[in-house]
Amino acid sequence: MEGLLNLWHATGLANFTIPALVMMAVGCGLLYLAIAKGFEPLLLVPIGFGAILTNIPVAGLAEPGGLLYYVYYIGIDSGVFPLLIFMGVGALTDFSALIANPRMLLLGAAAQFGIFATLFGAIALNYVPGFEFTLKDASAIAIIGGADGPTAIFLASKLAPELLGAIAVAAYSYMALVPIIQPPIMRALTSEQERNIEMPQLRVVSKKEKILFPLVVLSLTIMFLPAATPLVGMFCLGNLMRECGVVDRLSNTAQNELINITTIFLGLAVGSKLAADQFLTVETLGILVLGALAFSIGTASGVFMAKIMNRLSSNPINPLVGAAGVSAVPMAARVVNKVGLEANPHNFLLMHAMGPNVAGVLGSAVAAGILLALVG
Amino acid sequence: MDIVSLLLQAANLMVTGMVGVFVFLSILIFAVKNLAKLAGPETSGDTSTKAVSKSSTGVSSAHIAAITAAIAQYRTKK
Repeated sequence: MEGLLNLWHATGLANFTIPALVMMAVGCGLLYLAIAKGFEPLLLVPIGFGAILTNIPVAGLAEPGGLLYYVYYIGIDSGVFPLLIFMGVGALTDFSALIANPRMLLLGAAAQFGIFATLFGAIALNYVPGFEFTLKDASAIAIIGGADGPTAIFLASKLAPELLGAIAVAAYSYMALVPIIQPPIMRALTSEQERNIEMPQLRVVSKKEKILFPLVVLSLTIMFLPAATPLVGMFCLGNLMRECGVVDRLSNTAQNELINITTIFLGLAVGSKLAADQFLTVETLGILVLGALAFSIGTASGVFMAKIMNRLSSNPINPLVGAAGVSAVPMAARVVNKVGLEANPHNFLLMHAMGPNVAGVLGSAVAAGILLALVG
Repeated sequence: MDIVSLLLQAANLMVTGMVGVFVFLSILIFAVKNLAKLAGPETSGDTSTKAVSKSSTGVSSAHIAAITAAIAQYRTKK
């Protein structure tokens, strides 16, 4: 009889707690969004499943000794996984649209206002009882506005590891929601006439320029912002491997196998931070609200900057491309193209939007470096 | 009281951060523009050699000469 009782105490049924069940439901919700709705499935499947595994009673997968604990410790606590992903993203990124029209970097810079305005907003949220965000917490939350998963995870793991689960889930969810969040803001801030503007075709970029570009970016980072070199350095390595043409095997591995393997473990490790006691707090709600705010402000400031540039510049600039400044490559650029086509069916903005789009990746890495240097 | 000083810090960070991002990326714009000057002339040579090497597989040189001449004529007409 005692044996049977012991066996009963070892079952999941006897040990379920309500918060753990809620978190498992959250995990199932993420799986549903990924599988049925196609929201960032590459990440939300491992994150959602990780959330379920983490909250299994008795098994203790996310406690010291458990698999997910070690995956988190090795990959995210050390900052290694997001950086490996960033190398893959570098190997996947074609900078020719940006090299052909470098002024687009200004749009990538303007869209980072979403980050810094949200930082202010996160601190202001402290007036609401129940919220106690420090400057480090606020910086980690604000980086959601960079719309760049690996950057957000990297910064959160350095500044506010206890908020990492909520920050990563918010960042990836909103990136999936870019086609819903951005268009209304873009339409509200531009006139029909502005959306109609056609931009001149981009020039051809030479191979030499493409090879030199990552080296130039790296040397500037070394000189002015060494705190951003982990992110920018890995990014530039990936991009150089892609463009130099002599290490196609390495470049292909970084773009495919390596980024895929890392994504599986990164997702599981993020899922391991979705334990009930860490996630089911008021702060998570705050983070979700602030994340949406960060995306919206980033989009709006990108569009405003593009409007200003259109006024001042001799070459016409369609203000819509400013919205692509919030990285989220290539989703944001596609959204710009779609909204542009609605206004003028002959106006293909995709290539023009790729410039600010990849500029946004650099911009958010630089912003992360600045936050690390000033707050970390 | 405490929140006010935090807010001031956040506002400070907002201004320094935005200035930092803009300055850094502006320097990058300057650098990339110079990069274009440095590597620019190579562009046309690069594409033409590629085109020739591609078409030279399995096509006789007389054909290539005829096509090149035709293209040149078309371009001058235009």
